[in-house]
Order: sequence, then C-alpha cells, then structure tokens
Amino acid sequence: MRNLLNLVLLLALPAVLAEARTHETNPMTSPEDFAEGRRLYRIHCGVCHGMEGNTGRGARLARRNYRHGDSDAEMFDLIEAGVPGTDMPGVWLEEDDIWRILLFVRTFAAKASDNCVAGQGDAAAGERLFSGQGSCLACHTVGPAGGRLGPDMSFAGELFTADQIRRALLEPAADVADRYRTVRLVTAGGERVEGVVLNENSYRIYIMDRAEDLRWFDKGELRSLETPTESLMPAYGNLLTEAQIEDLVAYMCTLREDRMEGGTE
Amino acid sequence: MRLRTPLAILAPVLLCAVALPAEVTLQDLLDDPRVGADWLNYHGGYAGHRHSLLDQIDRSNVEALRLEWAFQERISEKFEVTPLVHEGIMYITVPPGDVYALDAETGARLWRYSRRLPSKLIACCGLVNRGLAVLGDRLFMATLDAYTIALDSKTGRLLWETELIDYSLGYSGTHAPLVVKDMVMVGTAGGEYGIRGFIDAFDVETGERRWRFYTVPGPGEFGHETWAGDSWKTGGASIWITPSYDPELDLVYWGVGNPGPDWNGDVRLGDNLFSDSVVALEADTGKRRWHFQFTPHDVHDWDATQVMVLLDKEYRGVERKLLVTANRNGFIYLLDRQTGEFLRATQFVKQTWAVGISEDGRPIRRPGMEPSAEGIEVFPTVAGGTNWMSPAYSPDTGMLYVSCREGSSMYYKGDTEYRPGTRYWGSMFVNEPTMHNWWGAVRAFDPISAELLWEHKLFRPAWAGLLSTAGGLVFAGTSDGFFKALDSGSGEERWRINVGGTVQASPMTYEVAGRQMVAVAAGGSLFAFALP
Repeated sequence: MRNLLNLVLLLALPAVLAEARTHETNPMTSPEDFAEGRRLYRIHCGVCHGMEGNTGRGARLARRNYRHGDSDAEMFDLIEAGVPGTDMPGVWLEEDDIWRILLFVRTFAAKASDNCVAGQGDAAAGERLFSGQGSCLACHTVGPAGGRLGPDMSFAGELFTADQIRRALLEPAADVADRYRTVRLVTAGGERVEGVVLNENSYRIYIMDRAEDLRWFDKGELRSLETPTESLMPAYGNLLTEAQIEDLVAYMCTLREDRMEGGTE
Repeated sequence: MRLRTPLAILAPVLLCAVALPAEVTLQDLLDDPRVGADWLNYHGGYAGHRHSLLDQIDRSNVEALRLEWAFQERISEKFEVTPLVHEGIMYITVPPGDVYALDAETGARLWRYSRRLPSKLIACCGLVNRGLAVLGDRLFMATLDAYTIALDSKTGRLLWETELIDYSLGYSGTHAPLVVKDMVMVGTAGGEYGIRGFIDAFDVETGERRWRFYTVPGPGEFGHETWAGDSWKTGGASIWITPSYDPELDLVYWGVGNPGPDWNGDVRLGDNLFSDSVVALEADTGKRRWHFQFTPHDVHDWDATQVMVLLDKEYRGVERKLLVTANRNGFIYLLDRQTGEFLRATQFVKQTWAVGISEDGRPIRRPGMEPSAEGIEVFPTVAGGTNWMSPAYSPDTGMLYVSCREGSSMYYKGDTEYRPGTRYWGSMFVNEPTMHNWWGAVRAFDPISAELLWEHKLFRPAWAGLLSTAGGLVFAGTSDGFFKALDSGSGEERWRINVGGTVQASPMTYEVAGRQMVAVAAGGSLFAFALP
C-alpha cells in the first residue's frame, strides 16, 4: 500500500521534477543550440562567472580542467544541482537547456587552451628568462618554486591565451585581479609601504609587502592610503626585447597540468 | 520550617504558571512598539519606524555592550530574519523553511517547526525568509513553496496551511506577513520568473482567503491598459517586504516589485502598473484606494519593495498624514498617505538615469540610459540606492535613517522568452567592472525636506537595516561583518563588534528579565547583545 502510494505520488509529480539526465554526453550540437546556450548562460551564469567566463566572483570557466569533473555528465550534474555549501546554486531548467548551456561553456575552455600556442618564441629560453633575467619567480609561483606577491602561474597555459600573457607582460596594469590590487601607504611615522591587499574592511587594511611580510594598519592612523590602478609588476617592454617577450610567452604556454608534477591550485 | 518542603515542590509549578506567555492581542499590535518590552511586528510597529522606546542601552553606556548569547544553525543561505519577541520568547525563521521558538533571555531552543519543502525551489536571490507575524497564540509565515501557514506559538504545531498558488510557476513567499484585525496578509515573490503578482488576505482562524489584489491588473481592471498585449500575464510586480498599516485610515501600504522581464521592456510597453509602486489597499476588502508609481516602465530592476514609513507631521504649515520612503531608484519620496498625493522627491544617492522628478512625481528620464546589447553603465547599481533593508525613524531626533548604496552597474539587454518557472529576465546585469566605485553610508535625513543631516560612511554598501532606540542610538550592520551603534544625533560611532559574517538583516530590540537586548542575524547566526 505504502509503495503504491509512493508510486502514485511519483507519477503525480510535475514532469519538470521527475526529469533526470538521459544522456552521458552532450547531444546538443547545432548553431541554434549554441546561440540558445549563450542566451541562457548570460541569464543564469553570467552574473557570477562573467560574460566570457573569466571574471566575477564565480569560478573561472575559461580553463580546461574543472575541480568538480570535466566530463559532460559531471558538468551537467554540477550545473543542474549546484555545489552544496557554496554560492553556486543549481538551475531549474529542462535537460536540453542545460546541455545547451554546457555547449556554450565548453567554448571557454577552447579559448583558454588552444590559443595559447608558442608562436615564434623559444620556450626553453623563456624558462631561463622566467627564473633569471626576468625575475618573474620573485613574485610568481610555478609549481613549488617562486614568490607569492603575484598570481600563481603554474597553469598559465590553461588559463590564458598567448595574447593575454603578452599583454600582461607589456601592460601589467591593464587587468589586475582584485586579490592582487596594489596598495601604497604612508604610516604616521612616515614609513612608505607598498604591497598587495590581502584584506580590507572599514577600519583596517591587511597587506603583503614587497618582502612578502604580512602587515596590517589601522586606516584612520595612516598619513595616506592609495590603491593605485598600476601593478607592482614592471612593464617588460622596457626591460626585455621583443624576441625575449615571445620566448616568455612560449614558455608560459607550456605551463599546464600535464607538465606539472604534483602541484595544486 | 515545616512549610518548606511543600513550597519547594510548588515553586516550579508557580514559576511555570508565571512563565506562560499571554496571547498577543490586537491592542498589543496597535501599541507595539510603544509598550517597549516586546517586538511583535517585523517593523516593530505598524508605522514602519523600527524605533523602540527602550533606553537602558544609551549613548553613555553602549561602549560596554557585549554578546549575551548566539544562536547557530547550519545555514548556507542568507539569514535575513527579524525576530519577534513576546513575553520572553523569541520566534525566528531559519532558511529555508524552519521556525524556532527560543528563550529570549538565553537563546535556548524551545521548539522547532521544519517545513518539508520540494527539492527544487525557485527563488532568484537565495532561499530566504524574513520572519513571522503573530496574533493570539498563532504565528504566521509565508513559505518558499508559496503557502501561508499558521503555527501554534506554544508548540510549533501546524494549525493550517493555505496555498497561494503553484510554486513551480516561479512563485514563493519570503516576507514576514502582516496581521490586521482578524486577517493575515501575504504577497507573492517571484518577480524574476514571469509571475503575475498578487496580495492575499486570510482569516487568521481558518486560513480561508478573504480577498486577493492583483498587482498586475487583468482585463477590465484599472491600469490594465498600461501593459502591452498579453504582457500583464507575466508582468512580475512581486511582493517581498512587509507593508505598513495605518489603523485610523484602515489602509495597508504595499511596496511592489519590478516588472518582468527585468531588463528588456519591449514586450511590456506602457507604464506597467502597479510595478515599482506603493499601493494603498483597504484592509477589509483589498480594494485599491490609491497608488503612486515611482518608476514607470522600469528597465533597471528597481523594485519599490522598500519600507513605507508613516509619519504625522506638518508639511507647508498643515498637519498631514504622510508617507516617506527612500526608493531603490535613488530618490526619497514624500506622499500624502490619505490621498496618495505626490508632495516631493529628492535625490539621495548618485544617479544618472533621471534629469529630475516632475511636479506630478514622474521621473524625467535622461535619454540613452536604458540597458543595451553592449551594456551601459548607470547609477545606482541594480541593487538600487537602497533596498529592502529597513530604514528607521526616531521621533526623538525627528530624523529618518537610511542605509544608502552608492555605485553603478552595467545593464545589458537581450532576447527574452517566457517559459513557466524559469528566469524571465531579458538579459542581465554585471557588477564586476564597476564594483571599484561602490561604497555605502548610513545617512540621516529630515523626512520632510530630505535635507541630509549627517552621514556615516561605510566601506562597502550594506545589506543590513537600521534600528533606532530611545537611548539615542542607531544600530547598523555592514557587509564587512561589523555590527555597530551610532549616535542618532550625530552619526558618530559609539560601539562596534565584528560578528564574522555579513549582516544581511535588520536589527531589533526587546526587554527580558529587566534587561534590554539588541538582536541581529548575521552570517549563519543570530546574536543578542546586552549590557553586563
């Protein structure tokens, strides 16, 4: 009786609730599906993940590997159900529409990896520059080595296109992630301190200074506090030749998960 | 000596009898918060002042304010409740669908009601709930699966439940209901899902529906012509904040949400009444006495779901029954609440969408500020110059306190198509590129002239409401986790604590065992503060 009742209840549920994934791989392929997927992405995902999947408070989608699984089925389930305990909610859409969103989201990964190609540069020379003359390791981590002042570059080849890397080398201030905002302050005693902002609230600012020391200051007691738009990173157009820049780009495009041993994000 | 034993046995019985709270009467609701000890309505009174007569905690001693107790639950949703307190017992909702009774003195849990909710709820902005209403020995709640329910306040037992409408079409209930006479009133949320908004009144005893008012008028109804074609069927105009009520005029003042689709108005040409409006409804019948629309044909998602503050004050030499509200669109409005007559509007945050407000109260729009395919930057942000978090009004200082949000958003317009139960947006907004210009402030205004009297700057725009007390304090919360007390006369900070989570609720105060307590939800906890 109980089972029968359950069965009746199940059958009575609205169709939208009873729906489950019927494919293991994405059945949506047409340009129309893609266009619809982009439209739905912008409504359901863009606020947190950005129009191109590379800005916002949500996970960066412009990458090849995902923390919660890369297969179509895993991605589908994640989009449908969300990630418990995080701000990522599930979407209440029909199966086809979730597949369409995934069809569009997959283009981010293609942009992230396929465009990062070595080009004219010499990757081996780039690697020497990275740790040597360029002093990149002073601030950036690659695998176990390097500094903490700038973003981790262990997977730069997956996260960025060659153009993005080139631009960051030439115009480092053009796109600084919020976590690496530059801060420049003068204490009441006249000490000048420069670093990146680790945290800031109404009363205090916490920074990592150029020596990677953790320091904090009461904002009300500072002589001055600026968060300039420029980056702590030098513009390499003045420091390296064009060919050397290309060598660095070539090297950084090789920085991918399959090249790393261990290494976590 | 011989009497000792029997007395010792009797004592707990006597205590129990004393501790049993009396039922909440209609007079209690009318008196609140003038009586002071209890907090019986979401706003702490029908007039929407969020001001308490309690003055044990004041400017001179607030420095010693300390945490008395905390209530913690596994909450991953935004915790937006304002508790109710009656004779030492606190009643709260905990997202997504729980109700708790707590000892208001210690925070100890007395009972819990847990609603079984469908696995896939539809809510644009979190599975939230803002609180309860109370009358007699009954608590009332609007639920995420679009029901109004009544619970026994002594036990948490479900007494009745009445469905508003099928939740799977995008409807939900999130605001604390309002009790008026023998009715409990609830409006429906879901303005981002192509709903047709409405307000229902139910019999408190039986849950039977007394009346319904559609916030989007149907064929033949006043205002229907303000919706092109069939767009009224999916026009949104949701309700998600508790209304104010004037018992003398017997009018209920509802702030109504945005029209849908949000950022593309092409399919709903016209003014789109009663979206972004205040509607004054007769309590007994639900009939509209008057309405005033703040943002006709809104394309920026600027719901008018802000608190309507009711004041009796002199305006241009004549004593008037007034309604003042700081609107999401960036202007503070002053209306006659008897007639709906527009008296004045004054800009209170940076805005770039309107040149000004005309003499009849309609905005004079600046051209080219509508959302576009490429995106356009407009002040204020999509969250508006303020939002659902409560303002406060102090009769002592005569000031209106508002949590203000400064900054801009990028507004995009795109194609849209209605599908039941899914987002009906017409593209989207993006905040990321403009967040560097965001900041907030608690501001004090003269409610009549809208003159700025003081400002207390906040590092980020806040989602927390304000509480004013007769102790000369305004309590405020911040997005960077601070809960603080400001001098209500000057805005100067007198006390603060970091509660370790965003304050995303409006605070309240009550008295228990002779002590004034101040309570606020933040992060996943509820905190109660008192003097040592």
